[in-house]
Amino acid sequence: MFRKHTRRAARAAFAVSFGVALLIGLVACGGGSSAKPSVVIGTKNFAEEYILGQLYGQALAAKGFKVTYKNDIGSSEVIDTAFKSGKINLYPEYTGVIALDIAKTANAPKTASATYQVAKSFEQRSRDATLLKPTPFSDTDTFTVLTSNAQKDGLTTMSDLSKLPSFSYAGYPECDQRITCILGMKQIYGLKNITFIPIGNISVYTLLDQGKALGGDGFSTDPAQLDPKYTALVDDKHIFGFQNVAPVVANSLTSGSNGTLLEQTCNAVSADLTLQAMQAMNKAYYVDKATPKQIAHGFLAANGLLK
Amino acid sequence: MSGLFLAKGGPVIPSFGHASKCLLHNGWFCTDWITNHWSDILQPALIQHIQLTVIAVSIGFGIAFVLAVAGFRWRIVDAPLGVFADFLYTLPSIALFQILVPLTGVTVTTVEVALVAFTQFVLYRNIVAGLRSVPADVLESARGMGLTRTQTFVRVELPLALPAILAGVRIATVATISIATVAAFLIQDGLGAPIFDALGTPDIFKTELLAAGGLAIVLALVADGALAVAQRALTPWSRR
Amino acid sequence: MIAAGAFVDALRFIPAHATLLLDKSGQTAELAFASLGIALVLALPLGLWLGHRHKGLSIAIGISSLGRALPSIALIGIGIGVLGIGFWNLSAALVVLAIPPILTNAYFGVADVDRDAVEAGRGMGLTELQILTRIELPLGLPLLLAGVRIGAVFVIATATLAGVVSGGGLGDIMARPVTYGLAGTIAAALCVSAIALLTSLALALAQRAAFRRMAPNA
Repeated sequence: MFRKHTRRAARAAFAVSFGVALLIGLVACGGGSSAKPSVVIGTKNFAEEYILGQLYGQALAAKGFKVTYKNDIGSSEVIDTAFKSGKINLYPEYTGVIALDIAKTANAPKTASATYQVAKSFEQRSRDATLLKPTPFSDTDTFTVLTSNAQKDGLTTMSDLSKLPSFSYAGYPECDQRITCILGMKQIYGLKNITFIPIGNISVYTLLDQGKALGGDGFSTDPAQLDPKYTALVDDKHIFGFQNVAPVVANSLTSGSNGTLLEQTCNAVSADLTLQAMQAMNKAYYVDKATPKQIAHGFLAANGLLK
Repeated sequence: MSGLFLAKGGPVIPSFGHASKCLLHNGWFCTDWITNHWSDILQPALIQHIQLTVIAVSIGFGIAFVLAVAGFRWRIVDAPLGVFADFLYTLPSIALFQILVPLTGVTVTTVEVALVAFTQFVLYRNIVAGLRSVPADVLESARGMGLTRTQTFVRVELPLALPAILAGVRIATVATISIATVAAFLIQDGLGAPIFDALGTPDIFKTELLAAGGLAIVLALVADGALAVAQRALTPWSRR
Repeated sequence: MIAAGAFVDALRFIPAHATLLLDKSGQTAELAFASLGIALVLALPLGLWLGHRHKGLSIAIGISSLGRALPSIALIGIGIGVLGIGFWNLSAALVVLAIPPILTNAYFGVADVDRDAVEAGRGMGLTELQILTRIELPLGLPLLLAGVRIGAVFVIATATLAGVVSGGGLGDIMARPVTYGLAGTIAAALCVSAIALLTSLALALAQRAAFRRMAPNA
């Protein structure tokens, strides 16, 4: 009889402690909004993207987010696929690319803010994602030529290219599928006889220097654009679009107080990315051979964004 | 919350450091870059490259050894195994990497599987050839001395096959070091990554190219030399 | 299996892009055979002569080990850095890689010829050159051709690689899965194998013919 009581008491004690433990666990999990979500930042396959990834990533890490990077994923189309499949949940993208090449909107927006709006609603509608606030700077593709060739052939704008019977253009492989590239040159500028030279591992400027192509897809923030040796033809028909940068963020990251903190942090970084700043950072990478990590750290620290 | 389109005077743009004269002129051997980036670019790449190679050759040897013993014992198995190993080698590495991506993703595993596959060509053929090169009369005397099949294999055939096996390991190691540089097309590991990064800069970044390329060449030569010495040390009875 | 599906797609890719593949194959073959030709012109006479004189064995072995060890991409990359991009620049790197097997096999092909045959030739009063061309070369041809065959397959594979780095040839297709897909890569790889196989076959036939001339009754 004595034993039966002991057993019952033991069972009761066990049940109570189990219940208490469960309760504590639930409370802890429920109150888990203090645990920051993990951010997986993806970047495309060129230097400015690596730098942007580091800028947003290091700023978020300073605020307590767990940040990992998947660098050099590929072109916009490829990184969009990675984002859709959940492999990454944040990446910096160019508004014009989203609007014209991913969303493939029929009427090209005529201003930077219109482009941003089209891109933002696309991401909300089709990608379950938010487009955070855009940067002041924009970085478009260009039709860059050697200045000597521009003078020789009398080229100032891209429409002038119709003077030439044929020409070659070096661009990234996806260029001949894009309205912001070869397709635009054919359809909007009406240019014919374009030889497309896909860029392998060699830089556009190297190809221009070695006479392998007449024009190349240099980016407007490249340090080489400031070199008088190269000239970017004026894009008078605006096929290259408006290209401010804005982070594409999965909606899972923007909910709750952590979501607000994430948005605020990224917007603060974006606000400081002027054309001058971006050009300086690109120069640090290409000319001074600093690494994206070092460059981002230096910029964020100087602007109080790492606190 | 800060304003979006700047009302203030603009962000602080710090100095990111200035490149030396050597770098600005894109010299071939800018020691300042090499010393600055040894620990964050060159050394990790070198270590990753060594890891990729060692893992591939070890696993490759294990697999090839098992297959070779089978092919040696049962001749009908030998022909198809040999042909398959040959075929694997003629596939361009890039192609094999891409074929594996749907199966194993864009990871180190994919690269390792491909590297292991490429080692089979050399290792399988060499191990089988080595085992076959044991003279019949030696086997006879071993059998005559009363050694069992396994004992003969372990104490007679394997040691005599060693020169060919070691030669195979040497060639496979060196070939793997070479193919591992191509892995940079897929993943950021190994010495191929700085080589491709260097080729992609607007001026072709000569110092990084020579440093990484040079390291790859030196690694291959050192591995070849070391294995040659090992070959000679472990098989003192073999000529040349 | 996914690979099987991609393989089937590749077989469909080939007729659909026949001109492209033919064009690119031509570029790769052109680069490979030009480089091989130059390597033959440089390495063959040297290897034959050294083998005949039985001089420079250690050099021959050393070059052979060196050539086998050099990572191709490193060499191609540095070659591009030094000489820039272009047909002859890429060719230079390939020539460097092709010389070792040709040199080594030319050397050993000649050096390993039966001494008695050589002595007999000397006894008959043949000049050194005549001994080389009428006795050593015919007898050493099989081994020599084996070396050329190895060099050829290696150069074809590396020429493809050169295309991956800087565009041109079948390597171009393989380096752009975004444009051509896995089907394109496999199709291009099949073309590389085809070129390598045809070359290897042609040289194997030459090797067999040489053998038959040497030992018609064997």
